[in-house]
Amino acid sequence: MFLHELKAYRKSTITWTLTLVGLIILFLSMFPAISQEAEAFKKLMEGFPEEIRLALGLSVENIGSILGFYSYVFLYISLFGAIQAMILGVSILSKEVREKTADFLLTKPVTRTQIVTSKLLAAFTSLLITNVFYLGAATMMASLVETKEYSTKVLLLLSLTLFFLQLFFLAMGILISLAVPKIKSVLSISLGTVFAFFIIGALVSTTGDEALRYLTPFKYFDFAYIMQNSSYESSFMMVAIAFIVIAITASYLIYSKRDIHAV
Amino acid sequence: MNVIEINNLTKNYGKERGIIDVSFNVEEKEIFGFIGPNGAGKSTTLRTLLALIYPTSGSAKIFGKDCIKYGPEIKKEIGYLPSEVFYYDKMKVIDLLKYSASFYKKDCSKRISELADAMDLNLNKKIDDLSFGNKKKVGIVQGLLHEPKLIILDEPTSGLDPLMQQKFFELLQEENKKGATILFSSHILGEVQRMCNRVAIIKEGRIIQLEKISALQENNYKKIRVQTTVKLDENYFNIDGVSNLVVSQNMISFLFKGNINTIMKKISEIEIINVWVEEPDLEEIFLHFYEKGA
Repeated sequence: MFLHELKAYRKSTITWTLTLVGLIILFLSMFPAISQEAEAFKKLMEGFPEEIRLALGLSVENIGSILGFYSYVFLYISLFGAIQAMILGVSILSKEVREKTADFLLTKPVTRTQIVTSKLLAAFTSLLITNVFYLGAATMMASLVETKEYSTKVLLLLSLTLFFLQLFFLAMGILISLAVPKIKSVLSISLGTVFAFFIIGALVSTTGDEALRYLTPFKYFDFAYIMQNSSYESSFMMVAIAFIVIAITASYLIYSKRDIHAV
Repeated sequence: MNVIEINNLTKNYGKERGIIDVSFNVEEKEIFGFIGPNGAGKSTTLRTLLALIYPTSGSAKIFGKDCIKYGPEIKKEIGYLPSEVFYYDKMKVIDLLKYSASFYKKDCSKRISELADAMDLNLNKKIDDLSFGNKKKVGIVQGLLHEPKLIILDEPTSGLDPLMQQKFFELLQEENKKGATILFSSHILGEVQRMCNRVAIIKEGRIIQLEKISALQENNYKKIRVQTTVKLDENYFNIDGVSNLVVSQNMISFLFKGNINTIMKKISEIEIINVWVEEPDLEEIFLHFYEKGA
């Protein structure tokens, strides 16, 4: 069952992996140009109102260094990554109902818990594959374009936030797919949710209020903090883990109690 | 021994009725028919047996074990064919069947090819490209490939052409001889009469009749029309068991209930041009049971 599921996601995994890898290669290949013109670029940036700079996640001082630049472009990478994970989360259980194959699966000698576990593991593996390739591409590109010294550890820490963010949205997607009785379009629900959180994230940045950061997973990992301390902020990490655990446990419970209706 | 025991099973969908207080048993090696009009609760009952939906109250046992609590365990020995078959469209038939077989932890490849041959099914096509009838065949193979002890079928013959229906019933009878118990639902009285030992009739969520098929046949009405050469005495057919007698010119029509031989003898004694003997449709039968129940 696990292999069957994994196969079913093969195409989307490959597409998303290529997209993310492509994006990071594109972004980082722009870096040499930007770092050379760093002074001019900073001037240009200072022309923007501060709120906009904050919302976009631009910090003028850092843009010339590879990590600073990386953390800026990473915001968009993480947006794509979140969308991938969310779509995966929403679809893994709901697609059986939509494609009307639930009857097939559930009349086999398997428990519902086994079904959820297989599907979760398959989704997890799919995300893992994406991240491994992404990490490879990111570190390789960074070493190619940056001539100065930089901390690989911080780069990895920054990149790994993609994985945590994806797990968060995966869990959220599953929970939503079970809470909403009938899902017509996976794409619109996924995009809607992710963009909502993304925009909240941008707004929260402009206020600078620490407490508000709990509202959106996009703000759980503060790139400036990671760069300074080479570590994550534990309180946000806890919240993220707690959310993932609760969402997945709830999904197990809901799914095993649910009636599978005829079509 | 009872393979299926259903005790006071009730299921509501919110405020809507599903089934109310359904109880019946299916014995080992029996072919049991479950008939009723659309929306009567046939699928609801079958889906509860398979733990696809959970009962509001009451319980059901399969092989002596609670069908909800021991669901995964008992499903090893159940083959199920849903009324509408939907499978992973992008897969090939053979891949789907192999995937299905992988759940049962035994080698089913020989059986798959046997069944596919019998049902005249091309294994290398994509499921997407199959017609409804062919999808149904995939469903049948899928339901039988692990040689289940209990076969549950939800309106199995819809979408199959008469030749395939025949083939399919032969397959089922073969399985039955090998020791499989069969429970199937239908709204076509004819196929139930042909196949089953016993039958339960459900209407509006309640079981209204549980009978041996032979008893059902004795109670069966026939619609008979006779065209004669000469005008007959109006009371010629006015015998026991005849109702709704209408005589116009040399056409006589009536409903007959009882031993069919009696009426055939009666018909053979006169000169006729034509005769029509028809099954009353299911609605008429239900009407009959309904009146009796009231």
